[in-house]
Amino acid sequence: MIASWILPVCESLHFIGMAMLIGFAGILDLRLLGVARRLPVAPLQRLMPWALLGFALSLGSGVVFIAANPGQYVGPPLSLSFVAKMFFILLGCLNAFLYYVSGLKRAADGVEAGEDAPSAVKVSAAVSLVLWVTVMYWGRVLQFFGKSF
Amino acid sequence: MAWLQSIEGSAWAVWLKESPSLWGYTTLLFLHTVGLAFTVGPSVAIDMRILGVGRRIPLAPFDAFFKVIWIAFAVSAASGTVLFFSDATAKLQNPAYLVKMTLVCIAAAITIAIRRRVFRPAAVDAGPVGVSSRYMAAASILCWFGAITAGRYIAYF
Repeated sequence: MIASWILPVCESLHFIGMAMLIGFAGILDLRLLGVARRLPVAPLQRLMPWALLGFALSLGSGVVFIAANPGQYVGPPLSLSFVAKMFFILLGCLNAFLYYVSGLKRAADGVEAGEDAPSAVKVSAAVSLVLWVTVMYWGRVLQFFGKSF
Repeated sequence: MAWLQSIEGSAWAVWLKESPSLWGYTTLLFLHTVGLAFTVGPSVAIDMRILGVGRRIPLAPFDAFFKVIWIAFAVSAASGTVLFFSDATAKLQNPAYLVKMTLVCIAAAITIAIRRRVFRPAAVDAGPVGVSSRYMAAASILCWFGAITAGRYIAYF
């Protein structure tokens, strides 16, 4: 049994981490899609460790939820919304990984203030936004079946 | 309070709370969460830039993200209002809820103040950001993260 204060603290960190991931990765995605076009992309991309920090906060606190209450996630029965959430998290990570290794990130580094990103970069940014919002959706469905908020 | 109770007991409120449909409660919570992420995330990113993170990035273009912040805030506020009226009397007696609403109001006020002060056309990127603006940015981060934390504690009271 874990101490009763740990779960609400982890829930708070889970949401703060989510906000930081969206805060940094999300504004990069939006810039690549044409919002705040006057921002040069290269220095913005150097802020991505902060998005990673947010992701790590959410991941670490999420592991605590599973450890504290495994039945709600891995069952039995296995929670389908949990599987869906993990699936979309993996896709989100894969999309980010491909962005860095495929040369898209380097292409985006060359996008100066006022310039449009190449279409392949825009596609990757749009996919990123859709995937992380989908992760949020399954996270909410997951909690709905477990307990009311 | 009687009118709040009558709203809570109305057919739509009962449906919202008790229907297993994903289109009710879950969808509202989802909208509330997406709104939160796109309000707090970009706000905190701007605050951190004001505090000196990514100093080489020009500050002025971040102004465009305030539009995103306010659209997202409206989504959270609208979904939150519906959630509130489905359970108003309990929420009003929940200290975590009252703390959350207070912090949200303060954070929103600071966000407006930061936009007015830091993003004045002539002032941006003309020199280093002033000390008082840095205090506002730090207070904004604390209030937004505090509001998230208080929001999570609603379920524990």
